[in-house]
Amino acid sequence: MSTRRLLLALAVAAVLIALSLLLGRFGAYLVRAVAIAGIGALSLNLLIGYCGQISFAQGALLGVGAYVAGNLGNAGADGVLALLGAGAATAAIGALIGLPALRLRGLYFAIATLAAQAILEYLFKMLEPFTGGVSGLVIRQPAFFGLPVASDQVSAAVSVLVLLITWLALTRLTRTNLGRAFLVVRESEVVAKGMGLDVARTKAWAFAISGFVAGVAGGLIGFAARLASPEAFTLDLSADYIAMIIVGGLGSWAGPLVGAAFVVLLPEAIQRVGEAFDIANLLSALRELAFGLLIILFLIFEPRGLSSLLPRLRWTQRRQTPGAATGFGERAGAAVATKGGERP
Amino acid sequence: MAAPLPAEAGAVALTAQNVTIRFGGVVAVAGMALDATPGEIVGLIGPNGAGKTTFVNCICGTYRPNAGTALWLGRELLGLSPHALLKLGVARTFQNVASLHDLTVLDIAKLGAAVRAGSGGFFASEKALEAELTETLLRPLHLADVAHTPIQTLPYGRRKAADLARALAAQPQLLLLDEPVAGLTSQEGMAMAAVIRGVRDRFGCAVIMVEHKMDVVMSTCDRIAVMAAGSKIFEGLPEEVQSDAEVQRVYLGEPG
Repeated sequence: MSTRRLLLALAVAAVLIALSLLLGRFGAYLVRAVAIAGIGALSLNLLIGYCGQISFAQGALLGVGAYVAGNLGNAGADGVLALLGAGAATAAIGALIGLPALRLRGLYFAIATLAAQAILEYLFKMLEPFTGGVSGLVIRQPAFFGLPVASDQVSAAVSVLVLLITWLALTRLTRTNLGRAFLVVRESEVVAKGMGLDVARTKAWAFAISGFVAGVAGGLIGFAARLASPEAFTLDLSADYIAMIIVGGLGSWAGPLVGAAFVVLLPEAIQRVGEAFDIANLLSALRELAFGLLIILFLIFEPRGLSSLLPRLRWTQRRQTPGAATGFGERAGAAVATKGGERP
Repeated sequence: MAAPLPAEAGAVALTAQNVTIRFGGVVAVAGMALDATPGEIVGLIGPNGAGKTTFVNCICGTYRPNAGTALWLGRELLGLSPHALLKLGVARTFQNVASLHDLTVLDIAKLGAAVRAGSGGFFASEKALEAELTETLLRPLHLADVAHTPIQTLPYGRRKAADLARALAAQPQLLLLDEPVAGLTSQEGMAMAAVIRGVRDRFGCAVIMVEHKMDVVMSTCDRIAVMAAGSKIFEGLPEEVQSDAEVQRVYLGEPG
């Protein structure tokens, strides 16, 4: 990573955190929800968008993170430690869920992850001493680095910070041998194997890293909700996350964030419209419908997602200049532009 | 792990014997034998369906042969995975170049170099590796100007060159080329042949090359083996191959 990019990221972090602290309670709540969903979507994007392994178990993995972080926090661990512990535990479970992927491909593997989701949901209900059973686990918000997280604004800022760290780490990851191997495995396992890549090891890493990030996101969900209960981490949640990365654009790094914002804010917007026109009940029923319709429309008209619209709107001029995309400093923008857009 | 032995000139590095693979009732390769020494380019020719590519796939781990041995510097290769083979210094290129959407030419070369220790780590700077790959591989293969271009957007000839760059980035001692000039124009094909000879001269690796274009084979290879119906029917110098009556009959066509 170039120093310039790092400085830019730090500046963005500082601005976003400052803004989060200045927001009202409702604004902070929204920022936190989008940031946490963004982390979870980045995790799933690594697995599906980059490594090509479709998983329906993201909801349950977020749950694992929430329960582990909640228990660690309740036992008096620092928030940072609780999140890292949740990440480690979820990475292990993610790798376990990924085991069938060594034998199964595509939809067959996706079905196996459905089974994993169901088993984990069952375990959430049954492992009472750890999960609190059907009624759930009450979670206390732990301090971070010994500093208490006293308000929603502070917890929003924490979530934004974690999101930025995750984003930096994952975009960096895609520039390593492992990250490049993910892309080859996604395109063709036969080619990956023929090229001498260790496909099993590559997939195992994808599941573990994606699981780690999902665990951290789950931990933040638990801290934010102050409660982890089985009905919060169902297949519906998995579907939401798949929607986020599809709407945002598979395999880009801006996509999951755009998608997360879209999926989190859409219901809020619908709610507002409903309240304004006094048709809230009608619209909340339509929410699911609108959601499904939007995803289908995206798959048809914009398969590369919302994020592909951004470069087209803003970087069209630059992309048409010959050689502009080959300069090294332009790579970040060019990568998004190429991924997002039309290819000849 | 076999250390990269500096093989003596003229010493046989690869000895494949009796390599046999069946798919159901079809014997695709039947008792095939082939040797290769470092610094030598061995051509493997024969009519379609002779089993040339299947033989290469057996050697480099894509298929698991039913019988036979292939010793490389004293180590058995058959049955090892392509990943393990790459670590032993055995690399290959593909007949059809895969479509790898988001990867650039340089990305794919780095993937080839991934078997080398110390490249592509999370905190590693890749500037030095990029410069090295660009100078030693991309420039000779005429790919330096498209180093940061996605493979997908390149014409076929350059994609094949990128695939060769990937195989060479692993610094192989045994290089298996599956139809390196197929699909290229004759001009591109001759340029590719020159590159292959240059690679052999510079790295001193043993090269086995499956190819149909006879002008390229004749001008590039030091020795030629002719396969038909799964086994070797002739082996010799290029000029001997051209004058052999049996080879003429099964492959080059009846005279007159």
